[in-house]
Amino acid sequence: MPRKIEPGDILLAVLVLTPLAMAGPRLWELPGDGAIWLLSLAGRVTGVLGLSALLVTAAMCVRLPGLDRWFGGLPRLWLLHRRLGFSAFLLILGHVLLLSFAALPLSLEQALRVLFPPLAHAPIWAGWLALAALIVALAPTFQVSAIHYQRWKRQHLLSAAALLLALLHALPLIPERAAWWLLSLLALAAIAWRKLLAPVLARREYRVAQVTPLAADVVEISLAPKHQGIVHSAGQFVYLTPQDPSLDAGYAEEHPFTVSSAPGAGELKLGIKALGDASLALQTLTPGSRVQVEGPYGQFFARRAAQRKQLWLGGGIGITPFVGAARHLAERPDHFTHVALFYLANRPARAYYHEELERIASAHEQLSLCIHYFSCCGPLSEAFLREHCPDFAERELYICGPPAMLEYLHGLLATAGVDRAFIHTEAFDFL
Amino acid sequence: MSLNKIAYTALVAFISVVLTLLATGLLMGRSPEPAADTLRPIGAAELAAHNHRDSCWKAIDGKVYDVTPYLPEHSGDEALTLDWCGKDASTAWHNKRPGKAHSPSAALLLQSYLIGQFASSATAAAPPRQALTTPPGAADRSPRPSAKVLLGLAPGTYLDGIYRGQFSDRGEMQVSLQFSLREHRLHDIELRYLAYAGVNYLKLSEEHPSYPVLRQYRQGIAHLEGQPLANLFDLYEPGQVVEDIDAFSGATLRASKIISAVRDALNRGVYQWQ
Repeated sequence: MPRKIEPGDILLAVLVLTPLAMAGPRLWELPGDGAIWLLSLAGRVTGVLGLSALLVTAAMCVRLPGLDRWFGGLPRLWLLHRRLGFSAFLLILGHVLLLSFAALPLSLEQALRVLFPPLAHAPIWAGWLALAALIVALAPTFQVSAIHYQRWKRQHLLSAAALLLALLHALPLIPERAAWWLLSLLALAAIAWRKLLAPVLARREYRVAQVTPLAADVVEISLAPKHQGIVHSAGQFVYLTPQDPSLDAGYAEEHPFTVSSAPGAGELKLGIKALGDASLALQTLTPGSRVQVEGPYGQFFARRAAQRKQLWLGGGIGITPFVGAARHLAERPDHFTHVALFYLANRPARAYYHEELERIASAHEQLSLCIHYFSCCGPLSEAFLREHCPDFAERELYICGPPAMLEYLHGLLATAGVDRAFIHTEAFDFL
Repeated sequence: MSLNKIAYTALVAFISVVLTLLATGLLMGRSPEPAADTLRPIGAAELAAHNHRDSCWKAIDGKVYDVTPYLPEHSGDEALTLDWCGKDASTAWHNKRPGKAHSPSAALLLQSYLIGQFASSATAAAPPRQALTTPPGAADRSPRPSAKVLLGLAPGTYLDGIYRGQFSDRGEMQVSLQFSLREHRLHDIELRYLAYAGVNYLKLSEEHPSYPVLRQYRQGIAHLEGQPLANLFDLYEPGQVVEDIDAFSGATLRASKIISAVRDALNRGVYQWQ
């Protein structure tokens, strides 16, 4: 992801800062002086910022096709959601402690009473409940072990309860109601859309036309739209909800998969590797069964400099966006500058799509293909890259693959002096 | 360090701090707030004496708070706030706006001004300002020295003539008066100026809530008309001099100001020969 400010970022910043701007003059006039004043000011500022960040984070869950482009694609929006959400959490922890510290110069008793007032002070206890709900909603991310995706999604829904409790905590105590109503409305509307309306309104009906095995644990499924299909561009992904009751796992659960068919193709194709129980079950998806598709999202192939040649680095199942783009290139070569595709596979048996990519590369001079096998040659070296693509540092780079590979390639490219602004990445990972 | 780890570490630190505060609070025996039975009992009369800007006590939920230092900070309607000085202000406290109590943080702030336990009239300890309630016959038990002693302590010889004097405090002139002294008796006492907190009391309409204060001053002055100089000190017990002394406990006569202004006039000497 290039480090670039997207238009949506500014919108988010304005939304987060509006309540503070409205409350600022009032907070500045707080009584007291010295440390007490500073601590109570900081305690309130962190509270106001924490709540607005929490509400904006919730609003960011909306996942509308097209809207994610304002934020540089859905993966980047998720990343922002995660960062802002964690920031809100840290701010809220600070809010509690700072306010309690502000009362410490009076006495320890007062500091404790700020934290634990008599039960009649309902807003304070609503605040504690909100924090507890937030901790539970975030708890799976605190674990070191792998996260169960569906359980995580269910548990994360508790953040909606945290949100409501946080409003019960703050609204009776803060006079700037207008800003809070606006943000609350955005947040609750986003959650309602995402959890209640989108499953009914945003999902398109498809039928499974074909399931093609590409390797032991990789299939490409072809989907035929029942009515109007989605319109995607290369590199985008969709959420797939299989409605096949015979599946061992993941029935009626949505999971994201990258589209491997060319834009405008009659059938929608998804390359799926068995990475978890649901994607494992999809390997035996019944042809003819019903699936739903929501999307498309992302803008992996966004151009920073349209005249630059391109370098694609795909590893493992991370080759799928490049398959979609190569198929697009085969149909509309005039849309592309020269592309050097490096397929980083473990060994020949794992180089799925290999033959098709070879065919396209030999038919079109815009695409050159180079396959690199880890099993024989170890990780990709700068020398190998330079040998097969001498001008790689002057190209716009697109990388997709497992996180370890991305990390490794980022290090390699940084050492080789490649400008980070021209590197686009997409990780197949839980954020 | 990843965001997950930062957040998790922060959570652990947060819980540790809260637990530390809790444990310290428990181990230290929650001493900072005096227990109710060790608080000094304060009766309604003593409370009522602190009913003004310079010393404002309020009873709230059975406790007495000296909120004088906080008055300049208070954000609400000042007159209304002052109105509750010297009274049981629980109702006002719990109805900042109708049905809306003060905030928990305000409650915390209030605790720092706690000075005593409010003793209801039945259990009140003897109020220290006995003068206010001392019946006329018991004047010898009054804490003040006799009028003659007081007069004797005053310097100077008081010739007949017209005197003018004033009382100023907190950067403002509050009382200014004129009288004529004939054979050590006060005559024709006239309030030339009476003000407090920027309000000119002489210009108040009769409907004004503070108008009774002006009336009390006039009653106090009328009491002195034709009296020997020593009787000036009757005003130390205004309850015996004017009506409804406590009807407006938020704004009552400060008779000491009259005494001070008269003594100021005497110190200055004759303003004009008759």
